[in-house]
Amino acid sequence: MMKKIYLLLRISALAFLTLIISQSVAFAQEEATEDTIIETPKERPVRPAFESGLLFDAATTTLQPSKTLEMIIQHRFGIIDFDDNNTDFLGIWGVSNIRIGMNYSILDNLTVGIGATKFNKMEDLQVKYRVIQQTRSNSIPVTVVLYGVAGIDGSADTKWEDSYKFSNRLSYFTQAIVSRRFNDKFSLQFAPGFTHYNAVDSAYNHDRISLSFAGRYKFTPQGSFIFSADFPLDIEGIKDYKKVDATATVYDRPNICVGFEIATSTHAFHIYLANAQGILPQEDIMWNKNDFFKGQFLIGLNITRLWNF
Amino acid sequence: MKNTFKLAAIICVAIMFVTANMAMAQKAGGPWTVPAKYKAMKSTVKAGDASINTVGKETYNKHCKSCHGAKGLGDGPKAANLKTSTGDFSAAKFQAQSDGDIYYQSFIGRDEMPNFEKKILDEADRWAVVMYMRAMKK
Repeated sequence: MMKKIYLLLRISALAFLTLIISQSVAFAQEEATEDTIIETPKERPVRPAFESGLLFDAATTTLQPSKTLEMIIQHRFGIIDFDDNNTDFLGIWGVSNIRIGMNYSILDNLTVGIGATKFNKMEDLQVKYRVIQQTRSNSIPVTVVLYGVAGIDGSADTKWEDSYKFSNRLSYFTQAIVSRRFNDKFSLQFAPGFTHYNAVDSAYNHDRISLSFAGRYKFTPQGSFIFSADFPLDIEGIKDYKKVDATATVYDRPNICVGFEIATSTHAFHIYLANAQGILPQEDIMWNKNDFFKGQFLIGLNITRLWNF
Repeated sequence: MKNTFKLAAIICVAIMFVTANMAMAQKAGGPWTVPAKYKAMKSTVKAGDASINTVGKETYNKHCKSCHGAKGLGDGPKAANLKTSTGDFSAAKFQAQSDGDIYYQSFIGRDEMPNFEKKILDEADRWAVVMYMRAMKK
């Protein structure tokens, strides 16, 4: 199974690179014509690859201009159970997870954020820094962003039994996100990530490497089809690697999201199907056991709101 | 006696209704004072440029349509809640203004008309919106 996933990832990465290279050639010619018409000599960055800095539970390479405050509400209903006897209504009456967060752009290329999530009483600190930005002349073909999340599990001390220390509560997620806006409608991003939990049950690993993909296809000026997938990788070479016992629950399912986005001047709305119920990326990459293709998915909703100062 | 109270109550409600409606009526915005720096600006996007119906249209629909309406007639769904009329972009009076006048009113703004400099960052993208509004001329 893992071999198949590796193969799929390799093929996807190769296809992504081929797309970027082939687009670079075609794009350069198009832009030369546009530049002569509008007579703008200096290098111009492309419009953002995504409408919002948030895509489901993932970060995108989009950053808001400096002195922008963004409020985020992320909501995930319970897992839809197709069992005939179940009295739940599409997971809406089930146990749901919710996060509220605020992001603030200190600089045009630096955003910091805080948030609180219902599951595990997680509080989080986030930082996002844009290293390079794709240009219209295609002199820089991609945008690269570094993204980090530190999570603090707010559960009662007894969760860690006698060995409790504050540092047990901490978990980290870091990611390098590479995106390309191919044209006005289509954008893709690819993001290798690293997750670390300071304290885990003895059967599990502290660290995990993941690969994430996301994209959008805009079909109206405000409406887009959006998708993302996080693949947790089981790499034996990783430090202190431990094969999870066959009797223990295995948390290694990819986190897949598909949905629609409506973007207005100050808002982005997402309505989607997803299979992981965590909201912070480290939770979804480390602890997801729901299989999207076995019908174990849920309905999710996001709302973002921007204020410029 | 009972009927007198009823009559008084009806008259009170009627007066409240009429005055509330009067207060709700939109005023036309006063004349704009456009600084010379903006007034002298000329669009870098020429009429007929391909970006007008792509970038201009997309940006207008995202940021402007909800108040100004799809055709610039001032009939967007949010327009009714404003105190000031949003004007009519298809009218000769609007179209007679210079590029710089329209640029200033559109992106710098005043009062209920928000500033869009941080929402539409690129200069040429802004001009594509101005030219898209120019194309709304009747």
